Amino acid sequence: MIVSRAIPAGLVLALLALLVLAPMAGLLHLSALPGYEPADLRIWESAYLRRVLYFSIWQALLSTLLSVLPAILVARAFAMQPDLPLRRLLLGLFALPLVVPGVVVVMAVVSVYGSDGWLPLGRSLYGINGILLAHVFFNLPLAVRLLLPLWKMIPQHHWQLGEQLGMNAWQRFRFIEWPMLRETLPGVLLLVFMLCLTSFAVVLTLGGGPRSTTIEVAIYQSLRFDFDPARAVMLALLQLGLCMLVAMLTLKFQRMPEVEIATSAPYRSRRTTLSYVVNLVLIMAATLYVGLPLLSLLIDALQGPVIKMATSAQLWQAFANTLFIGISAALLSVVAGWFLLQYSASLARQGRATGARLVDLAGSIVYVIPPLVIATGMFVLLSPHVDVFDWVYPIVIAINALMGLPFVVRCLGPSIRQSHARYHRLCLSLDLQGWNRFRFIDWPLLRRPLGLAIALVAVLAMGDLGVIALFGSTQTATLPLMIYQQLGAYLISQATVTALLLLLLCLAVFALLERGIGGKADVVN
Amino acid sequence: MYSVLPRLAAGLASFLFCFSLQAATPNLVVYTYDSFASDWGPGPKVKAAFEATCNCTLELVGLSDGVAMLNRLKLEGDNSRADILLGIDTNLTAEARSSGLFDAHGLSLQSSALPTPWQDDLFLPYDFGYFAFVYNKEKLASPPTSLRQLVDDSGGPTLLIQDPRTSTPGLGLMLWMKKVYGDKADQAWAQLSPRIVTVSKGWSEAYGLFLKGEADMVLSYTTSPAYHIIAEQDLRFAAARFEEGHYQQIEVAGMVRSSQQKELAHQFLAFMISEDFQKIIPTTNWMYPVVGGQAVVPTEFDQLINPAPALLLDETSVAEQRKRWVEEWLEVMSR
Amino acid sequence: MLLIEDLQFGYSSQPALNMHFDLRVEDGEVLSLIGPSGSGKSTLLSLIAGFLSASSGRIILDNNDLQALPVAERPVSIVFQQHNLFPHLDLYTNVALGIDPSLRLLPGQIDAVRDALARLGLENMQRRKPGELSGGQRQRVALARALVRRRKILLLDEAFAALGPAMRAELLELVKTLVGEHDMTALLISHQPSDALIASTRTAFICEGRVSMLAPTDELLAAAAPPELRDYLGSQ
Repeated sequence: MIVSRAIPAGLVLALLALLVLAPMAGLLHLSALPGYEPADLRIWESAYLRRVLYFSIWQALLSTLLSVLPAILVARAFAMQPDLPLRRLLLGLFALPLVVPGVVVVMAVVSVYGSDGWLPLGRSLYGINGILLAHVFFNLPLAVRLLLPLWKMIPQHHWQLGEQLGMNAWQRFRFIEWPMLRETLPGVLLLVFMLCLTSFAVVLTLGGGPRSTTIEVAIYQSLRFDFDPARAVMLALLQLGLCMLVAMLTLKFQRMPEVEIATSAPYRSRRTTLSYVVNLVLIMAATLYVGLPLLSLLIDALQGPVIKMATSAQLWQAFANTLFIGISAALLSVVAGWFLLQYSASLARQGRATGARLVDLAGSIVYVIPPLVIATGMFVLLSPHVDVFDWVYPIVIAINALMGLPFVVRCLGPSIRQSHARYHRLCLSLDLQGWNRFRFIDWPLLRRPLGLAIALVAVLAMGDLGVIALFGSTQTATLPLMIYQQLGAYLISQATVTALLLLLLCLAVFALLERGIGGKADVVN
Repeated sequence: MYSVLPRLAAGLASFLFCFSLQAATPNLVVYTYDSFASDWGPGPKVKAAFEATCNCTLELVGLSDGVAMLNRLKLEGDNSRADILLGIDTNLTAEARSSGLFDAHGLSLQSSALPTPWQDDLFLPYDFGYFAFVYNKEKLASPPTSLRQLVDDSGGPTLLIQDPRTSTPGLGLMLWMKKVYGDKADQAWAQLSPRIVTVSKGWSEAYGLFLKGEADMVLSYTTSPAYHIIAEQDLRFAAARFEEGHYQQIEVAGMVRSSQQKELAHQFLAFMISEDFQKIIPTTNWMYPVVGGQAVVPTEFDQLINPAPALLLDETSVAEQRKRWVEEWLEVMSR
Repeated sequence: MLLIEDLQFGYSSQPALNMHFDLRVEDGEVLSLIGPSGSGKSTLLSLIAGFLSASSGRIILDNNDLQALPVAERPVSIVFQQHNLFPHLDLYTNVALGIDPSLRLLPGQIDAVRDALARLGLENMQRRKPGELSGGQRQRVALARALVRRRKILLLDEAFAALGPAMRAELLELVKTLVGEHDMTALLISHQPSDALIASTRTAFICEGRVSMLAPTDELLAAAAPPELRDYLGSQ
């Protein structure tokens, strides 16, 4: 069984390596040709780059902590209030910030916290404050959604025993909740760290100036302005190395799942009024924080030519393209992630914990190679042989699928491991394999996280601006591109309307996918 | 699905057609920047006007900006589909020249609106503009009248600018300061720095923030107010006129050497400096036409400031020194 | 003596499944509860422990209605079929939690934990984690924890279901002994009629939310008067 599971996983890993390493090799090769600037490879000697490195790490670290730690509290609040009205809507709202293109986020954050905004911060917005505000806006909701399902994995009996043994809230957290969190938290921290590290437009514009340069900016500069591919690759590898270091650290703290795990209905224990109020306050605060910028976007957009734009055929064409890319990338990502995670789960079940974690890591870490580097490298490799324009969609889908992989790993990982640990032996004994196994065992159990994973990657890919912009277009290809073009043509209010439409459509797609694939109720064991 | 399959099929078909010696209608491929090719830019009108005369199809490929365009061409080398590159500015021409990917256009530019006669044989200009600081008249009653005043007045207006590493206006301002201050540019930047609210990645972010009231002035073009006047009937915005003059940006196009449609490309370049093309520019690209003068410029443009004298550093020194100058700028701004 | 008087419980969504219990368990007795799945056995235990609230009726222990007490204060210890132990804590801590969830134990209490583990054959294993133990050993740890709590009522919800016959018999005897020694009252749910024979003098047959029959164990299992009971037991 292990051998056969290793094969598709191995294939995926090989493809990943190809997708990532080949373009970089292509770029390096390019710089070896005459006619290009020789690369200054002694990067560590440059004080400027040292400063860049230091700043990149610091802002990413700070952003990560400020996003994830509160997210634990908010997720917990949600978990403890399963009957909260509008819960589904609120959680759907939390999926949106990731969709919004960086430049639109900047506008939205400024609308709320800028000089003319609702909560003006003045000049101090442009600096680490602004960066943190925007990063927490992006990542807190994501972390909440990734952490929330964990509470359902806690066996009901643990809660009951906790109550009987007279545990207070802190002891409940320490003995019952934390062990479950501890397993997945490092992975979430790593994902958010990577997102913050590679964040570009936000850091550059809200950062206030060159003091806030990150490695990603330096890569961008190397490849575009200086046309120094070797340096770009070196910097990309530096970024990769940095993330692997962080990943190693998080691996140290991560625990593999213990033997007894379950999926249970949320435990409706009697909560004190105080805890109810506290949870409510937490949820409202988080909703407000996430909702205000989105609300400002809505208000700005509604002042624009909404009707006129909503009836433009071009807009819907762009939407159709966007949807196609999003869904394709999501499916590809989830299938690739599935094979990787199945293999990782079987390794875990065998006790080969390190191997399992490494496979998970491989799936996650390729995110930090900037799409610009991959895309440019691909050009170099492909353009002598084919007309790249014909390959735009497959390449864009492939790169977006790659970038969605870490999300798939985070969403599906815990559930697949659990399902595997629980049912693998049963399936073996019943000789339940392949499609039948998927249909009867995996699908009902994993529907929910699968739905979330597909929905997340789809909206991520739909909101992606960076990748498609690299390839150019003969007509407006996608909604984010349209936003960018409008912004570049003084059409700020139209851009805001398009952004709103993108947001609404993503919300709809997200809800449909999550509900449609995820199904209505939880499976109770 | 949707329109992708027909597009893919079309792409494949055109790929195959490359081999045929006689295409039904010849296709001229122009690489340009996004806002030119988009539906809100000059693209559609240019396409319609040219196709009416050429008996061909014009394919405008939008690539984010001038730098991206040139890099793309370099990467594609002789395999490129492009026949024309339209939209790099004079800061990039030296680099474009040394890539060896362009052929001489063989045209002469008469009665150009440019201050100095055009001498480049590889590249042909199609529009130009001047950088300026744009402000809201209702919020800023007395804007600075010179660059030096802007720099020296420590209680002066707050600014939004762009990063010279990632944006052409950003680079333009850096060169402007260099032109005016020479070796003392670093000190000028140090004096200016406290009043810079933020340095954004691109023009759109900075302009958007300006419209949200985040700063008193934004680095943009002298023609920006024209957009507000003509398209929005909004008279609040104006550009500040500086005594020393304004740094100029001239946008050019060039014929790609590996093009299979040399005749058609030539025809396009000639069209480009004709009135039919030039009259489209002012209200779609929001820049000044190189040819045509008053005939093609809308009357609202009269309300714009006179940016003379035009400041420009020669392309060779820019190409040689740019990296070093940017590093110096970074050094000052990172303190 | 534990007296369950007219205790009623219903799921509001399914009123037809209203449950109604009347029961009496003597001191030092282990009462076995048998019956088909879904008949309400676990619900009854949850009501006694306080995890669920009854709509009416009384649960009386020594003249006090337990329902007036919050869960933590009820003199109840429960052992479930699984998930009794906290997997990231060692055995000592798991048991010690039974005495004080803040884990601040007096020296006498620390000894009590050690003794309990020893009594259940788990001496020298204090530092191990549940993951390293077999199913039977884990249930024994759970039992040890119930033991150190010294609560009057012991509830066993199919606690030994996953164990082999020998182990089951051993633990059932142990439960019987402990309950007798400390004058506790125990309710034991099991799907194995043989368990009832080992541990209990009396057995109750629970069916459709009611105590259908309460009789000495051997009588109940031999005579099998109600048809449902006969169905449940099958051919002997």
